[in-house]
Amino acid sequence: MAAKINIFEPPPSSASSESDDGVETQTDFSEVFPDGEADEERSGDFYNTPASPITVPYCPRPPSAGSQKSPKCRRQRTTSLNRQSSNKAATESVLRTTHRTIYTAGRPPWYNSEGQKVEPFVIGICGGSASGKTTVAEKIIESLGVSWVTLLSMDSFYKVLNQKQHEESHRNEYNFDHPDAFDFEILIETLKKLKEGRKVDVPIYNFVTHSRESRTKTMYGANVIIFEGILAFYNKEVRNMLDMKVFVDTDADIRLARRLRRDISQRGRDLEGVLKQYTSMVQPSFNHYIAPLMVHADIIVPRGGENEVAIQLIVQHVHTQLQLRGLKIREELAQAHAFRGQPLPDSLKLLPTTPQIRGLHTFIRNKDTPRDEFIFYSKRLIRLVIEYTLSLMKFNEMTVETPQGVLYEGKRMATDKICGVSILRAGETMEQAVCDVCKDIRIGKILIQTNLQTGEPELYYMRLPKDIKDFKVILMDATVATGAAAMMAIRVLLDHDVQESNILIVSLLMAESGVHSIAYAFPNVQIVTTAIDPEINEKFYVLPGIGNFGDRYFGTE
Amino acid sequence: MGTNNVETFPQKEERTYCKEYKRLKELQGNDQIKELQTILRDKNTSRSDFKFYADRLIRLVIEESLNQLPFTDCKVITPTGATYDGLKYKSGNCGVSIVRSGEAMEQGLRDCCRSIRIGKILVESDAETHDARVVYARFPEDIAQRHVLLMYPIMSTGNTVSQSINVLKEHGVKEECIILSNLFCTPAAVETILQSYPKLKILTSEIHPVAPNHFGQKYFGTD
Repeated sequence: MAAKINIFEPPPSSASSESDDGVETQTDFSEVFPDGEADEERSGDFYNTPASPITVPYCPRPPSAGSQKSPKCRRQRTTSLNRQSSNKAATESVLRTTHRTIYTAGRPPWYNSEGQKVEPFVIGICGGSASGKTTVAEKIIESLGVSWVTLLSMDSFYKVLNQKQHEESHRNEYNFDHPDAFDFEILIETLKKLKEGRKVDVPIYNFVTHSRESRTKTMYGANVIIFEGILAFYNKEVRNMLDMKVFVDTDADIRLARRLRRDISQRGRDLEGVLKQYTSMVQPSFNHYIAPLMVHADIIVPRGGENEVAIQLIVQHVHTQLQLRGLKIREELAQAHAFRGQPLPDSLKLLPTTPQIRGLHTFIRNKDTPRDEFIFYSKRLIRLVIEYTLSLMKFNEMTVETPQGVLYEGKRMATDKICGVSILRAGETMEQAVCDVCKDIRIGKILIQTNLQTGEPELYYMRLPKDIKDFKVILMDATVATGAAAMMAIRVLLDHDVQESNILIVSLLMAESGVHSIAYAFPNVQIVTTAIDPEINEKFYVLPGIGNFGDRYFGTE
Repeated sequence: MGTNNVETFPQKEERTYCKEYKRLKELQGNDQIKELQTILRDKNTSRSDFKFYADRLIRLVIEESLNQLPFTDCKVITPTGATYDGLKYKSGNCGVSIVRSGEAMEQGLRDCCRSIRIGKILVESDAETHDARVVYARFPEDIAQRHVLLMYPIMSTGNTVSQSINVLKEHGVKEECIILSNLFCTPAAVETILQSYPKLKILTSEIHPVAPNHFGQKYFGTD
């Protein structure tokens, strides 16, 4: 028995998902962002949505049924795991060359070259209370070897209890195992959004007060979603969203034994209360509601998490499915010859090519330009492109009074909700110019790097202003070649409910094919640039181009 | 120029000046520049906002003024090994600001040309007769060989600028080598200047019958 009870202890490899403070999972990024950002996260000003590892703060385990006498944080069930958070994998995911350190744990594209999303793979895990659903989920995540996995627990969706129900629960008389105890409406909405790849705010249920906490857990960016709960297959709409249904079938005696052990030794409850609850509610609910759900399962896993063979079968299937959905974006984009010779799209706003623009380009394109001049002239060009970008906003007519006593028919910008988002690293060079022209503007950041093995862009990190959905977003990247990184960043913004027509992608130099790719995938995104070059070479650099803008600007050549 | 107008002026008239005078260039109008002008003209604008938005407009006017300077073609090799057909500005330019409000534009010029030489002219005008008189002028020695960016943000009668141009010409600067950088000017001023100095180039952001004469005071905070 002891061995089985062990599975309630968090396995060491995924320990990060259990941590209370969320600092641990940031280690992946610690070298990129060395300052203590963990504090800033809680300020609430910014989303903590570096999709990859998400950690849930204090979230006590539900008392499966009944009340808790000594509530304590046991484990968080709604979470996203990143396999790289285990130390062993973390070292493997970093390649160090003489010039730079490369991280290989970013999120590969989750959309195709048309910018349309490919749905994540959703695994549903159902089974009786204490049957080992979470263990199975964790084992799957561990063997899957995929980062960007989100684990969603049905426990987050318990209904808020009124006073009477609250008292019932104290007397062990409220039935937490009954379908009515769950808020399926929010559950369906959340799962649907997650499946669409959009950002969701998952409620945090407080099992002491039996109400939802005012804060929520933000989840974003999963390639695989695991949804677990005792009634995971109960609702038809939920069932239809599950790509694979797993039922964990553990012997009733074992489940009771686990419950007794857990509730008595870990929650300080008495034997009688636990048994009363079990016989009057947990067991009838299982027989009546949960056990019949087995017919919907694709796979039934006897003995739960220790069933290695079953887990391997599941993992193999998921791998096959993910491979079928696998995408090679950048190559596809670079080879998009179909665009050749086509007129440039209407959404492109090219700065008038004045002698001065060409003069500035001459400086920054020349390989012999020393770095201080390169920075100086880049900044001038950036300022011009940002000023031009602002002129594309909507303006309203407005009449003002002048000190000279006459009225003046002028204009004012229709919105003051403008924010900047830079695509790291090169886009960061444009932030200063945005701050120089817009007072107190908010700046978000997205880190996208190219995986040198696959040549694909991967998402590593993001921090966006809260309520970004209401903003006009100036998305900045110094150069756009194939458009792969820009498209990923646009996709991220769309997933955060920013309207496509509110996005402006701004850069100094774009390749013609990149412009076409972006315009084709996102026709309502405005594209602003100071120059367009005709070609891209095999290394995805623009020709004649600027070279690697970030390296030249920051001096990391 | 009318003095008792409280109604607003039609925009069409302003445009015609650009056609009449080929040496007059108005900054390509867009909504955003209009917004900057609106903020600068609004009497309710705070001083800090005024300075912030004035600096933005100045930067745009300066960038556009530099666009008027002579250049030659030049090819450069990019880091990818390809050739870029670019251009190179000729050296031998300098800035001249007319004290006091012209000095507000110096920083904008510095931000674009780090080591450019800047001369100064102080013109005093008689409050009663409106006669302008140059009381101080200091230029780079070889100014006669240079292109001159003359900076003065507000032009209502053109007297001050006329006197400054005379001084420059006395120092041997060719009329066609002077570019006047200006934010707001009146049609009357354009007429006065371009009739007296037909080869001069004027670059402005707006031609409007009423000049925002409070510019210098508000920018420097002496109102």
